[in-house]
Amino acid sequence: MSAMNQQIRLLQEPTDSVERSIRAPVLIFFGAAAFWLALGSLFWLLNVSQMYTPEAWWALPGIGWLSFGRSYPVFLNCMVYGWASGAGIGVGLWLLAKLCGTPLRRPSLPIVGAILWNVGVGLGILSILAGNGNGKEMLEFPGPVAFILFLALLIIGFWAVSMFVHREPGATYVSQWYLVGAFLWFPWMYATASALLNPFRIPGVAQSAIHWWFCGALMQLWLTPIALAASYYFLPKIVGKPIYTYRLALVGFWGTAIFGGWTGLIHGMGGPLPAWMITVSVVANVLMLIPVIANALNFHLTVRDSFEDLRWHLPLRFLLFGGFAYMVWNTLGALLSFRTFGRLAQFTFVSAGHRYLGLIAFCSMILFGALYLIVPRLLGRDWQYPRLAKTHLWFNVVGLGMIGFDLVIGGAIQGFALQDSKISMDAINDLIQPFLLVQNVAVLLIFVANISFAAAVKLILLLPTRVRPQEPAAESSKESLPEVSVA
Amino acid sequence: MNKFVKLFFGVFGAFGVSWLGFVAYPYLTFAGLQLNKDPNTQEVAPPAKPGTAEQGYHIYASNGCIYCHSQFVRDKNEGSDIDREWGKRRTVARDYLYDRQVFLGTSRLGADLTNVGVRQTDPQWFYRYLYSAHPESAMPAYKWLFRTQKIVGQPSVDGVKLDGADAPPPGYEVVPTEDGKALVDYLLSLKRNYALPEAPEPTE
Repeated sequence: MSAMNQQIRLLQEPTDSVERSIRAPVLIFFGAAAFWLALGSLFWLLNVSQMYTPEAWWALPGIGWLSFGRSYPVFLNCMVYGWASGAGIGVGLWLLAKLCGTPLRRPSLPIVGAILWNVGVGLGILSILAGNGNGKEMLEFPGPVAFILFLALLIIGFWAVSMFVHREPGATYVSQWYLVGAFLWFPWMYATASALLNPFRIPGVAQSAIHWWFCGALMQLWLTPIALAASYYFLPKIVGKPIYTYRLALVGFWGTAIFGGWTGLIHGMGGPLPAWMITVSVVANVLMLIPVIANALNFHLTVRDSFEDLRWHLPLRFLLFGGFAYMVWNTLGALLSFRTFGRLAQFTFVSAGHRYLGLIAFCSMILFGALYLIVPRLLGRDWQYPRLAKTHLWFNVVGLGMIGFDLVIGGAIQGFALQDSKISMDAINDLIQPFLLVQNVAVLLIFVANISFAAAVKLILLLPTRVRPQEPAAESSKESLPEVSVA
Repeated sequence: MNKFVKLFFGVFGAFGVSWLGFVAYPYLTFAGLQLNKDPNTQEVAPPAKPGTAEQGYHIYASNGCIYCHSQFVRDKNEGSDIDREWGKRRTVARDYLYDRQVFLGTSRLGADLTNVGVRQTDPQWFYRYLYSAHPESAMPAYKWLFRTQKIVGQPSVDGVKLDGADAPPPGYEVVPTEDGKALVDYLLSLKRNYALPEAPEPTE
């Protein structure tokens, strides 16, 4: 048996009725999410190739429904709704069931929710390809599709919150707080933004304010809380110690809740929105550093002493990479909100790099780590090919590192050039060609990584081989840890 | 249950404030914006858009123009927008009064389009550029917004004048589809070159 599966098994408890009750919806979400991840990565690769070599055959010139302006939203929506949100809902439901100790009542409805969600994502992707995207980044799905997704969210959000309401008596844990928040915030923000930007389509720049508000809240109050909930659950489990301090966890939670909704409007710097809105957003982005440092410090202090023993623990490395990216992403966000830097970075690759840091280097990597730990225990099977997981880790680490540096440096050069009106737009394009090449290579690496992961998930789901033998009970001694409560 | 109520209100309150500030406030404020009427000339700004622009929004959105082109001009101290002649003054909320869909944008791989209808007034320029901007520009070719057809009788009025490798075979012509025409109508309508008192042109 491989070292990786051994490490994962150390965390196992016997699967109980609580876990069995959520198995089906969670696995539907995971299986579909792996597919969307693979598809999204493919479209990402297509999209960056179309930027670097627009005329080459692999950029598929002349095919309208696969052109640059459609491959980008397909990539982004696959990643945000299909992969990160789908896998995030699965992880969130599993964590809530575990932490609340309540079996899921009427598990058929969340299954309906899971199917509805993924059908919605599929219809949305097809609508974008067919030329019905509405051009609002991360909200491209047309109105009826957004409504399907909203229905799915209502079902799942209701189930998630009701698990918390019916939890076993006792202290609550910080992960539960993040998840209750996430499952309440997301339907709210999604309904607001979809309704006001799609069917009603309010006139004027209020559209942009609401759109950017949604983009910020989507990252800070939907994907981030899920990733943090998973980190707060798994890091102490892996190192076999409770979380270092609950005070910092409290600061982290309420700080995120209070500042997270205000972060999105820095995109509007210098634009037609009232100046106070931008200023508030700038302040929120800087203040976000308080919860971010509190959380990151807490994670660091929790794993610090055990790090030497566990440095080759594969899921832990995904979680730690994600935690590191969480710091970098928010630090960059705070820097960019200062007008001096913001003015330069506005409209450049730095914005794209900032988004990928949050969405892919932070949230995705944490979700990968969580899936490596959750899927085998839900199925009672081992990962068949640990080599796929190693490929997944290293190609992602190298690819994400490359694209991060590339977009920030290339974007800074682009930003300085944009500030100088003597440099023509076409000259700027020539200037950034080398960075587009590096981006293309980096995305190719990330594509290989994500395909390995999708293949590993499909294999473990569909090939019922290598059923795990019963483990002696002594191995799970690390499980009976007291969890520190925040309330 | 008590703990849930506390959490529920905390969570709703924290997020609700940002909802009030960034959703409800702009919704109410910008819905009440009025046109500007010049007291001397009685001219109304911004002027109404032609009806064909509505379909153009959809083509602009669904083909992803927004991912490379912005539509707002920043003030002189905020960037080079005015020096690049993308506009003579910064844009303000009233400039978007008639826009059923607002595309402010977050990327400038291509030029800002706030006033592209002022810079280029000839539909033929847009047709040629959309058909093939290569090699002078990195913009992708949008050939699916056109069709090549046999010339029957007189050539079409809006046939695209192409030369070199792009030229259609003799006896044929390249004409924009309905979508192509709608997009160009929309682009031609992008003119924010009227005066608004809240955004005077910078003097120096």
